Amino acid sequence: MIVPRTVPAAYGAVRECAPDVRAPTSAGHMQFRRGREEAIKHMGIERKRRRAPLRLGVLGVLGVACLLVTAIVVALALGDDDGTAPRRGNRIVYGLTLNPSGFDPHIHQSNELGIPFFSVYDTLVYRHPQTLDFVPGLAERWEMSADGLAWTFYLKQNVHFHDGTPFDASAVATTLDRIMNSSVGSQKARVLLESYTGYEIVDPYTITLRLSQPYAPLLDALSQVYLGIASPAALAATTNNSYQWHQVGTGPYRLVEFVPGQLIRLERNEDYAWGPVFYAPVTDASLETIEFRFYTDPATRSLALESGEVQVVGELLPTDAELLAGNVEVTVYQVPIPGTPQQFFFNTRRAPLDSASIRQALLYGTNRTEIVDAVYQGRSPVAHGPLTSTVMYYDPAVEQMYPFDLNQARSLLAAQGLADTNGDGFLDVDGEPLTLTVVFGPWNQMPEVAQLLQSQWRDLGIRTDLVQVPDFPTLRQRVRDDDYDVIAFYDFGVDPSILNRFYLSGAVNNWSGLSDPQLDQVLYEAVRQSAPEMRQALYSAAQQRIMEQAVVLPIREYVNLVGVSSRLDGVIFSAQGWWPLLRNFQYTG
Amino acid sequence: MQWRGVRFTVALTLGGVVLALSALAPLLATHDPRAAAPEAQLQPPSREHLFGTDLLGRDVYSRVLYGGRRTFAVALLTVVITLGPGLLVGAAAGATGGWVDGLLMTLMDALLAVPALVLALALLALLGSGSVQIAAAVGIAGIPAYARVTRAAVLEARARPYIEAARAIGARPAGILVRHILPTIAPPLLAFAGVTLSWAILNSAALVFLGFGGDIAAPDWGVMLADGRQAFRTAPWVALAPGVALSLTVLAINWLADGIDRVTRR
Repeated sequence: MIVPRTVPAAYGAVRECAPDVRAPTSAGHMQFRRGREEAIKHMGIERKRRRAPLRLGVLGVLGVACLLVTAIVVALALGDDDGTAPRRGNRIVYGLTLNPSGFDPHIHQSNELGIPFFSVYDTLVYRHPQTLDFVPGLAERWEMSADGLAWTFYLKQNVHFHDGTPFDASAVATTLDRIMNSSVGSQKARVLLESYTGYEIVDPYTITLRLSQPYAPLLDALSQVYLGIASPAALAATTNNSYQWHQVGTGPYRLVEFVPGQLIRLERNEDYAWGPVFYAPVTDASLETIEFRFYTDPATRSLALESGEVQVVGELLPTDAELLAGNVEVTVYQVPIPGTPQQFFFNTRRAPLDSASIRQALLYGTNRTEIVDAVYQGRSPVAHGPLTSTVMYYDPAVEQMYPFDLNQARSLLAAQGLADTNGDGFLDVDGEPLTLTVVFGPWNQMPEVAQLLQSQWRDLGIRTDLVQVPDFPTLRQRVRDDDYDVIAFYDFGVDPSILNRFYLSGAVNNWSGLSDPQLDQVLYEAVRQSAPEMRQALYSAAQQRIMEQAVVLPIREYVNLVGVSSRLDGVIFSAQGWWPLLRNFQYTG
Repeated sequence: MQWRGVRFTVALTLGGVVLALSALAPLLATHDPRAAAPEAQLQPPSREHLFGTDLLGRDVYSRVLYGGRRTFAVALLTVVITLGPGLLVGAAAGATGGWVDGLLMTLMDALLAVPALVLALALLALLGSGSVQIAAAVGIAGIPAYARVTRAAVLEARARPYIEAARAIGARPAGILVRHILPTIAPPLLAFAGVTLSWAILNSAALVFLGFGGDIAAPDWGVMLADGRQAFRTAPWVALAPGVALSLTVLAINWLADGIDRVTRR
C-alpha cells in the first residue's frame, strides 16, 4: 500500500512525517530538505521496491511475535480461570451483584457484604428465618434487667475462631470496642447499637451490655452480620482498613482468599459445632468451597447462570427472570426483603413540596401498579406505606390511604390554586411551570421508574427534571446541598425501628426533612417499649402518621430475584432476606 | 476503481437518507418519542410500531428518527469544537516552526498519549453530564489529532515550489498562508473532518451509553442502546434499531470522507 504523504489520514502517517518536520526551518535547512526530497523522487520506484520487502519482513516478524505473545497470554489466562471446569468437592460460584466500597461488616453498611460474611461470623443471637423469633447464637441465653438498661448474655463455651483463638466475653468486648471507636468510622453497626453505652465482663462467659435508655431493637441489632463477633487476635494483627481482607470469625465458613474486586473464597469450617438451630448438619452434599465473583452488570447475570459459570446470582433483571422460567436447569427464587419499600422522599423543606396537599396529590396521582407491572414485570408487591408488609408490626391500614385517583389528585392541586395559566399543559406557579427535580441512582431499575413517574405526573400537569446520579456519595451530596424535590432512598431491616433513622427530626437519613414532634414522640416511645402489643400500637400509629404527612412515595416492596442452579437444594436466606444460609445449601449435581 | 465509485454513490445515498430521515423526524414519526405507554411494553415490530416498543412502551421507530437529530446535532457541535482550535494550533505550529512548533506539538503529544475516550471521560467529570458537555469533551479530546494532521499538511504544502516562489516575489507570510497554503491543505483536512464526524458520533454515543447524557428519557441512540441492552435477550429490536442506525451512519460518513478525499485530490 502506498500512503500518499499529502493525505495523512491516520496517526501512522502523521508520525511518519514527524522526523523531517522537526528539522529546524531556517532557509538553509529548507534548501537541504528540498534537495533530499527531489533526490528521493528521482530514485522513486527503485527505492520503494528495495525497501518494501524489508518493511514487510520486519512487520511480519513483529506480527508473528505479537500473535505468539497474545496466544501465550490467552492460554495462561484460560488455564488460570477454572470457572467452567468440572467442579470437585461441592464447590460453587456465587455471583455478587455490586462491589461495595468495603466488606468489613463493623465498618461498612452494604447489604452485599453479608452475602459472604454472614456465614463467616456468628452473632450473639439469631433471628429464625421462618418464625423471626430470636434463637441462641454465640449466646446460649440472655436476660434483660427490669429497667431495660442492662442486657446480660451467657455465652457458649468451647467455641473457637477460625484462627484457633478461643471465644469468650473478652472477644465480644473487643468487637464492641472496635465498633464504638470513632476512629474506626462505623457506618451502620454503631447506629444499630443506638443507646448502648458500655459493657461489663461478669465472668469469662458472661457479659452485660449497658444502655442509657431502654432499647427494644437491641436483639435485632445483635442478630445482624454488622455485629458479628471477630477474632481479637486477627483484629490485633491487622489495621482497620486491612482487616476486611483477613476477616476471622467463628462461623460455618472461613475466609481463605480475598482478591479485591475479583474474588472472595470461603471454605468450610470443619470444627463448626455451635451453630443456631436452623443450620443443617453437614452432609456429603454440603458445600466445601464457595467462590464469590462479581456480576455488576445486570445484563450478564442470567447468561452467567445459564452457561453454568455461576450457580447462584441475585438481582436478576425482571425480564430475564421471565426468560429463565422456561429453563429447567435454573430456578428463580423471589426473596422478599423486609425494610422500607423502594421509595421516594418528598423534600418538605422547600417549595412546592412543603405543601402537604401537593404531596398528597402526588400520592393519589401515581399509578404504582402500572410501574410495578411494567418495570418489575409484576414480580413484586406494590408498596403502600413506609414499611414493607414483611416487617414486624406492619399496619395494613396504609393500603387504603392513597388509592390511584387522578380526579382526587387534580382537585387537590386545584384547591392549592394551581392552574395552567399559559396553556402549555403544565400547572403554573407565578407564571413558571410547576417543576419537580427527581434525583435517583442507576440501580434497581430506578431510571425506568423515574421515567414512568415523569410520564404519569405530566398527566397531572407537573413537569419533572430527572437527575440520575452515578453513585451514593453524589446522592448524599444532593441532600447536603438541599438540591432536590423528590429523591430515591431506602434501606432494609426486619425491625420497624428502621423508621427512626428515616423520620425522626434531624435523623441522619431523614431526607424528607420532616420535623413532626408528635411522630418523634411515637417513634421514641416505640423503641423504649418491649411489649409486642405496645410496639404494635405505636408502630401502627407511626406508619399512619407518616402517610398522613405524605412525605414518602412508596413504589414496590423489594424482592430479590435470585437465580439458582437446579443442582442446588436447601437454598434459604436469613430473616433479613439478603444473606444466604450457605450452611444449608446442598449440592446435588 | 469501479467499486469505489459505487461505494461513493451508496454512501451519498445512505448519508442523504439518514440526514433526511432525521431532519423530517417530526413528519415521519408515528408516535411521541417520549410518551410512555407501559401497557404496550416490549412489543415486537408491527404495523403499529415499525421497530417495536421498549420497556416503557415507547415507539422505537420514532425514537430512532428523533435520535438521529440529537446525534447529528451533538456530532456537528463536536466537530466545530475540534476544528477551530485544531486548525489554529496545527497551522500555527506548521507555519511558524521553531520553539512555538516544539511547544505546541509537545502539548498535543501529551494529550494524544491519553486515549481520547478516557480524556473525554475525565473532562466530563469536570463539566458534568449533558449533551453540550459531551460535545465539548469529545471535541476537546479530538483536538490533538486534528492539530497534528493540520500541521503535517501545512508543512507539506510549505515545501512546494509555488509557495517558495510566492515567498520569493515578496508575498507576506499571512498572505501565503491564506491564499496558497490553505487551498492546498483544504482537501485532506476536509476528509479528516469527515472522519472526525463519524468518530464524534461513536464517542458521544459511547458516553451517552455510559450515562453521561444528562437527559435519560431523551430519544438518543446511545441512551437507546443502553436501555435496549438490558432487554436484549427478550426484545432485541430495542437495541438493534439504534445500533444499525448508528453503524450505517458512521459507515456512510467514512465512505463519503474517503470519496471526497479521492475526488478533490487532483
